[in-house]
Amino acid sequence: MNRLSRRSVLRASLGLAAAGALGRPFIANAAAKTASVWWQQGFVPEEDASFRNMVAEYEKASGNKIDQSIIPFGPLMQKMVSAVTTGDVPDVMLHDAGSQNFLPQNAWNDKLVDLTDVVETQKSQLHPTAYLSAQYYNSVTKKRGAYMAPIKINATPYHVWSSLVEKAGYKLADAPKTWDAFWDFFKPMQKKLRDQGMRGVYSLGLQLTTVGPNDGNVLFHHFLMANGGNGIITKDGQPHLDDPQVKEAVIKTLTYLTTAFKEGYVPPGAVSWNDADDNNAFHAKQFVIDLDGTISTEVALIHDKEQYDDMVTLGLPLDNAGKPMPEQILVEGAVVPKGAKNLDVAKEFLKYAIRPEVVNAYLKSGLGRWLPTMPGLIKSDPFWLDPKDPHVKAYVEEGLVNPTIPAFAVYNPGYAEANAQQIWGVAHSDIIQHDMTPQAAAESALGKIKTILAKYPVM
Amino acid sequence: MDGAQVLKTTEAFVPRRVSLSRLRRRAWRGGLQGSEFTWAVAFTVPYIALFLAFVAYPVAYGLWLGHKPSLYAELFADPIYQRTVVNTVLYVGIGVNLKMFGALLLSGFFMRRGWWVKGLLLIYVLPWAVPALPSFISIHWMLNGQWGLLNNLMWDVFGIDGPGWIETSRWLALGSVIVSHIWKWMPFWTVILLAGRMAVPQELYEAAEMDGATGFRRFVHVTFPLLANLYLICTLLSTIFTLGDFNSVYFVSGGGPALSTHVLATLGIRDAFDIARPDLGVAAVMSSLPLMIPLVILLMRKLRTTEVRL
Repeated sequence: MNRLSRRSVLRASLGLAAAGALGRPFIANAAAKTASVWWQQGFVPEEDASFRNMVAEYEKASGNKIDQSIIPFGPLMQKMVSAVTTGDVPDVMLHDAGSQNFLPQNAWNDKLVDLTDVVETQKSQLHPTAYLSAQYYNSVTKKRGAYMAPIKINATPYHVWSSLVEKAGYKLADAPKTWDAFWDFFKPMQKKLRDQGMRGVYSLGLQLTTVGPNDGNVLFHHFLMANGGNGIITKDGQPHLDDPQVKEAVIKTLTYLTTAFKEGYVPPGAVSWNDADDNNAFHAKQFVIDLDGTISTEVALIHDKEQYDDMVTLGLPLDNAGKPMPEQILVEGAVVPKGAKNLDVAKEFLKYAIRPEVVNAYLKSGLGRWLPTMPGLIKSDPFWLDPKDPHVKAYVEEGLVNPTIPAFAVYNPGYAEANAQQIWGVAHSDIIQHDMTPQAAAESALGKIKTILAKYPVM
Repeated sequence: MDGAQVLKTTEAFVPRRVSLSRLRRRAWRGGLQGSEFTWAVAFTVPYIALFLAFVAYPVAYGLWLGHKPSLYAELFADPIYQRTVVNTVLYVGIGVNLKMFGALLLSGFFMRRGWWVKGLLLIYVLPWAVPALPSFISIHWMLNGQWGLLNNLMWDVFGIDGPGWIETSRWLALGSVIVSHIWKWMPFWTVILLAGRMAVPQELYEAAEMDGATGFRRFVHVTFPLLANLYLICTLLSTIFTLGDFNSVYFVSGGGPALSTHVLATLGIRDAFDIARPDLGVAAVMSSLPLMIPLVILLMRKLRTTEVRL
């Protein structure tokens, strides 16, 4: 046996390092059929199991391999932003709030792969608003493209504790049918409930928050539309921030929301609620009613039948002019960043993942918290309109049966930056904390949005 | 011995036929010869590689990300950033000084003899010993104005409704963050200063006592002068740590109410990931460098000049 000398150890080390460096391309080629996927962790374990099952089925059918990472909401967004910033990206990413900021901005900056060929495979099946919501503007190509493979829809229903309404001596059926009047109906319940010993109860769970990503913006936009401000951004991507009707709607919205807060109908903590805080407060019966995306509030208590049945899920009332209001839905799905090493596998996987039967099985495992992007599924699968479930049916009707419109950020990606900066939440705090008038707060907020949108000229 | 000295010393003893360039090479190699130099390089290269990969590169990348002057113009014009700078100064200034002064006083208390003092010390260091995140999240829940433990206790015991500690007022929320920071970190610095006190020679106290210095005078004329350098170094270190502290603010107040209690570390994360503007987030954090760099230089100078003093 040869003696191990210092020189031989050094030589061997250098040799191994050289072999590793030179051999790497061949190793990479061997893994060419593998795609890495970052997927958001599900609401319940069954959702993750269903995703793993989807992946296993795909691997079996295709012979390809999916290197999957299931990551919680907050860390996933940090990883996605970091990945696109540094260029060290996976092949596929899906985040439940991706459409709120990440997707519009990165599509605009030409950092995502156009998935038109993927989306077109299911175009005939997709809900028109879902199809439209997959299209984002790219400032480099100067045109829209499908930068998301749409998988799920988030609609925003009302959540009400029927037992609290009854305890206060009211009947939900008596609630007025127009927007402000509907909210006002719940205000007197606070005193009635407090008089019965419920010290910390409030009427309204209005998320006047500056913490993102969704709730505060979604609440504001529903009020804005109820006050006739739908035209703040039009389909062509053009802002109408100086339109008197939009301005008036903004002022009315700010006035209603902040007055309700100042009059004490909203829990004080609402100004800092995060996405989970309002759900927790609702479960603690801290308020009677809120308007919040998805039915996660309800399905979180699905194993407590008494509580599950006590909650009521309601669609939208009429707007303040007495007209039916379209529901502004958020559509989420998977994206492929530019620089993805296994583009073909990524696209093939997504074509598989958005097939009706695949996406249906996946979303049902999430207890119906997210709606499918394909209306045909609610007809073919009784799960979605099951009259025995007190929540899913109302949610489906609001998000898939009734008229819908996409988020404003779909029309203009600059609006996504405005959403991310929580400009409406800051406007609320300007009024609540800094005694600004709603008019001044509206001017300030619209001015900020105008500055942001000036950076996003959609042609 | 530096390279030039090596060169001179070596020249005196080597025969003339050894060339000057060889001598220079040897000097450059720190006097190491043949395989010794090879081994030195072999052992140093991994460290240098790690340093370049995980220290130099990330710092340089951060500087590159936040290098555009327009980012700073955008930050300085933002009222949220302006408020954040004030919060950072208050948080660091009040938090660090109260914490260090409290630690100095308590370290004196824990010098007392007795089993119950040791028992108290054990309980006292628990906040530092337990993981930070669950502690701060628990404090966040405890301070909830509607159903938190603190306000429920106030209601049950005194029949009064407590304020929304972290929900309604910037100053209450910032105060809550500072108190939480002190609660978490004062035990650590108390133990450090306690160790410093234990190193003060007993004879000095005995001599001071003979001169009539007891109690407060003994603290002023003996203990504090001997601990002054340690106290200053600890304060500098704590200031540097606290400037970059993210957890206390993020998990206690979350930067609320209405973005009013952010510090630079939390605002940087908000800008980078919530607004998806990593460049702006890095710029927010970088803007603390004009304060951070002098502190580090001052700390280095103090460490160099106080080698053997307490």
